[in-house]
Amino acid sequence: MKILSVSTATNHLSVALNQAEQVLAEVNEQDERNHSEHLAPVIAAMLVKKQLKLKDLDRFAVAIGPGSYTGLRIGVTTVKMFASILNIPVVGISTLAALAANVPAPNTLVLALIDARNTNYFAGAYLAGKSLIPDGHYPLEQLVNQVQALCMKHGYELTLVGSGLTAASVAFKAAGCAFQLGAKESNYPHAGVIGRLAINAKPVDPDMLLPNYLRRTQAEVDWHHQTGQDYQPDSNYVEEV
Amino acid sequence: MTEKKAIRILAYESSCDETSTSVVKNGTEIESLIVATQIKSHQRFGGVVPEVASRHHIEVVSQITKEALAEANCSWHDIDAIAVTYGPGLVGALLIGVSAAKAAAMATDLPLIGVDHIMGHIMAAQLTAPITYPALALQVSGGHTEIVLLHDPVHFEIIGDTRDDAAGEAYDKIGRVLGVNYPAGKTIDAWAHQGHDTFHFPRAMMHEDDYDFSFSGLKSAFINTCHHADQIHETLNKLDLAASFQAAVIDVLSDKTMRAIKAYQPNTFIMGGGVAANLGLRECMANEIAKLPAKEQPRVILPPLKLCGDNAAMIGAAAYNLYQAGQFADLTLNADPSLELPYAESMLN
Repeated sequence: MKILSVSTATNHLSVALNQAEQVLAEVNEQDERNHSEHLAPVIAAMLVKKQLKLKDLDRFAVAIGPGSYTGLRIGVTTVKMFASILNIPVVGISTLAALAANVPAPNTLVLALIDARNTNYFAGAYLAGKSLIPDGHYPLEQLVNQVQALCMKHGYELTLVGSGLTAASVAFKAAGCAFQLGAKESNYPHAGVIGRLAINAKPVDPDMLLPNYLRRTQAEVDWHHQTGQDYQPDSNYVEEV
Repeated sequence: MTEKKAIRILAYESSCDETSTSVVKNGTEIESLIVATQIKSHQRFGGVVPEVASRHHIEVVSQITKEALAEANCSWHDIDAIAVTYGPGLVGALLIGVSAAKAAAMATDLPLIGVDHIMGHIMAAQLTAPITYPALALQVSGGHTEIVLLHDPVHFEIIGDTRDDAAGEAYDKIGRVLGVNYPAGKTIDAWAHQGHDTFHFPRAMMHEDDYDFSFSGLKSAFINTCHHADQIHETLNKLDLAASFQAAVIDVLSDKTMRAIKAYQPNTFIMGGGVAANLGLRECMANEIAKLPAKEQPRVILPPLKLCGDNAAMIGAAAYNLYQAGQFADLTLNADPSLELPYAESMLN
């Protein structure tokens, strides 16, 4: 199974071609902050190098979030259009699951973190690929408590990966919770890893493939509080005219 | 003689709060036009919220691609190029169209064309009637108020611009004061037709010797009038307020535009943009041009109301001209939120 995978969820751009578990090619760009300009050319160059066409692929995979809202939409839009036009299956992979999968140690709880500012994190805790703390938007203090309880109860080792690790480290130290930091490389989503996770993921209808932001927009939250009105499905707000 | 092959362009537009796709044949015929509007969503907030807009765009973009092809009875094999608005507009919103169009171009091996949104608005005229050049366009929307000189189908120059607010922006802001939800233009236009210009708001820059506009003074005068009335518990007639505001906007727009028409003697006069749907402005411009001596009258193209708002058909029309001129984009095409048409030399001092 040939899989093209993409992550534009963070300031790191990653594109990979997998043949099942094997990573045939992976390109990583750090801190370019120019995913819109780079993504399509990077994919095109990789395909040329491997003498493949998009239509030769068996599956597309993309980091669907959490992450930078604009970044996520670049990757998800690109991949959903490929899948929709070429009628090739597509899967969305959690950015946090992809980060956690960078650390393949058994009996180690991997806490994947994406700094969401103001001591809040998009975070999820994984044990050998299994989600133990669901992906969500958490205050750091709450994460420390939950993770510490899990580690104490089950005797897990703890590894932190992702971004905002300095502040997280301080908080875990202050709580007396032992941890390790992942290798530098493991702090970014790698498309080759996403490709591996994609093998067993369930394909979705490309039209339904959307970023998993994990947060409503501030405007909606304010509107909800000010008016007391309930949130409605987004589809209720868009009409064809 | 062999029949010339038709050129079909699939176009995307997502610069603000409408996601649109269209198949346009030979730059003039709309074979399909899908417009998914988010107005209901942004009405919750009283105006367009960029992050909310971006989220809605990605929800529909692949679906409306299929719909545009189906409505045009086309498959990808019938399409010759893919076009997209790459600016100006909201960057996050533009990025959905740009990312989708680039992915579509890659998946189909079709050429890609990046289109300036303002050029698109003006080229809505090409879907209405043939344009003879040179042409002059009054481009009025929520984001822009410009007089544009068209040398040919792809070479445009701005000869007049707003110094502050766009005309459509002023409509939305005074609409808020009158309790009219965004987008306010249509309601204010309707009220204006029922009221009278009794407030005599200022006409800014009417007598200056250029083609520039200013609407912030008018907006302030309007708001001050309303606030003052509030303070002395006086109720003003909303219809007359609307009529007075609209009269001032139209006076300024038509005065400067007529001056430009007299100076440049275009063969065609075009109106484009959301405010080009304003009936008061359409009537006024048509009347003013009819007053010119017959041989000085340009042909007037006022696109139908549905082509004045944001739509992908106008992008397909403009893209056809770029296609013919061999102006294609590559896969590095990026959104440019502050993209501008070139300014005429007279504007650069």
